[in-house]
Amino acid sequence: MDLINLNLTGPDWSLVVPQLIVFGLALVLLFLDAFLPNERHYTWLTAISLLGYAAAMVALYWQHGEDRATFNGAFRADGLTVFLSVIILSAAILSVMVSASYVERLEGRMPIGEFYVLLAFSILGALLTAAAGDLVMLFVGIELSSLATYVLTAFAKRRVTSVEGALKYFLLGIFASAILIYAMAWTYGLTGSTNLDEIRSAIQDTVAGQDRQEASLLLALLLLTVGLGFKIAAVPFHMWTPDAYDGAPTPVTGFMSVVPKAAGFAAIVRIMVQGLGPMRNDWTDLLAVLALITMAFGNIVAISQRNIKRMLAYSSIAHTGYMLVGLAAYQAREGTGFGSGNGAGSADLGVSSVLYYILAYTFMNIGAFAVVAWIQHRGRGMTLDDFAGLASSNPAAAVAMTIFMVSLMGVPPLLGFYAKYYVIVAAIDADLLWLALAVVILSAVSAYYYLRVVAVMYFNPPERQLGASSTWLLNAGIAVMVIANLALGLFSSRLVDLADRWTGALT
Amino acid sequence: MGEIGVNHFLFLSAALFIIGMMGVLIRRNILIIFMCVELMVTAANMSLIAFGWELNSLQGQSFALFTIAVAAAEAAVGLAIIIALSRRVRTPVDVDEMRTLRD
Repeated sequence: MDLINLNLTGPDWSLVVPQLIVFGLALVLLFLDAFLPNERHYTWLTAISLLGYAAAMVALYWQHGEDRATFNGAFRADGLTVFLSVIILSAAILSVMVSASYVERLEGRMPIGEFYVLLAFSILGALLTAAAGDLVMLFVGIELSSLATYVLTAFAKRRVTSVEGALKYFLLGIFASAILIYAMAWTYGLTGSTNLDEIRSAIQDTVAGQDRQEASLLLALLLLTVGLGFKIAAVPFHMWTPDAYDGAPTPVTGFMSVVPKAAGFAAIVRIMVQGLGPMRNDWTDLLAVLALITMAFGNIVAISQRNIKRMLAYSSIAHTGYMLVGLAAYQAREGTGFGSGNGAGSADLGVSSVLYYILAYTFMNIGAFAVVAWIQHRGRGMTLDDFAGLASSNPAAAVAMTIFMVSLMGVPPLLGFYAKYYVIVAAIDADLLWLALAVVILSAVSAYYYLRVVAVMYFNPPERQLGASSTWLLNAGIAVMVIANLALGLFSSRLVDLADRWTGALT
Repeated sequence: MGEIGVNHFLFLSAALFIIGMMGVLIRRNILIIFMCVELMVTAANMSLIAFGWELNSLQGQSFALFTIAVAAAEAAVGLAIIIALSRRVRTPVDVDEMRTLRD
């Protein structure tokens, strides 16, 4: 009996260099944390983290253009891996810039070395999820990313809200993981493999033959959607989001609103598009409904929030909805996508619009949380009133916040507009006119709560003076994100083209 | 009574999974919720191994091993968070007490 069908070729290590660099970074940080004198921790570990992520970004350059799998198909180096890794590593660099001084001065925190180590492991998990070609790899990646984020949420361990937010995040997170494993078990049982490509070909036969397996596959699909829906905070699986975002230290909130969400979307694209692509008629309908209720709920509840962090939490739920619209528009059509394309592979507007959206969302959302952190540095809280009169006391910060708010709202020519534009185009192209209309209408609703922040900054008198604080790294990070929001929109067609060409390899 | 087949294992696993899920939804004690999640993970492992047995492949069993490792890591993180909370809150094991954060 041939129980093991092993293909005993060694793995191709050259394909995993960026991921290995981040892994190495995590280990180096662990060692330095133990052996470096305490007073040097802050400077050294910050610098080494930034260098490590930058090095991983450079190493990605050699992954560009590859389309190969190694480790028995468990690790894929393809366009999707590169695009998502660029997003995740940018988020990592920006998170370090935003959080360094904030975490250093946080009261009742854990040692700062642990912050950077956990951050590195979370990034590594997200990178592995993006590169997964196998359900096992995908699951381990997404768990590594989540587990580190649970601890980061509780980083201010002497503050009740921080730990309470972490506990809620943790309980719902592991509940979702359990559902996810069960769904993966059924997917494996019904298709006979954990490898995504083999799952795809097995399902192709099932769909073509209309076997009776269809019903249980649908159940597995439903459970997968529930499990991953928790990770990306889609309604009705969003209950943890406002509390976890509110409780976590502000820069961590910015981080966890982007990286675990990017990992979750990476997992959805890998499983749904790459693995379950032949069943797309089933899951696009499911995601379309999920997208509608997520957008509607997030935008409407955000209106009533006075706490900026809770408001941004509901706004991030709404943005999950916009991204789901792009996935619901997936149709694996033949031909070229936006712009020229290469004509050879089948391109799809849905997936590339989601990828571009995640990129835009990274710069908008971390930016908004960075300004909140900047305000908190100067002795203010995080309610709407704390932003009163910011324009007169510090015009630069007010302009930055305005740009992030308006970009999140989706006003041209900022980055957020292009992101929404491509999602809407993809939805119309897939005959989801009602969904495209919903995006437009709900964006108009979102103007109310985004512009309220701007109005408070410019028209309300300041309550008290800002304290003085030197945060050059944070300021530099905000400046980078402002420039990205202003300028990246201009290159949008080229970026979407790249995403397009790279996702073409998937289908 | 026929031979015990893969379906028996799948039914047992589904039953365990549903018991665990009901426990998470109904119970208010954090530790019991946590144990119920572990029950769900175990049920999923049983499915993985049953399917692996039926399909004659080792992928299911190796997946189950990875899952067990991840569950252990989850337990470590979760208990650490509960301990950190128990130093701040008087009755940390009741989820209804977790209401500092709310709209």
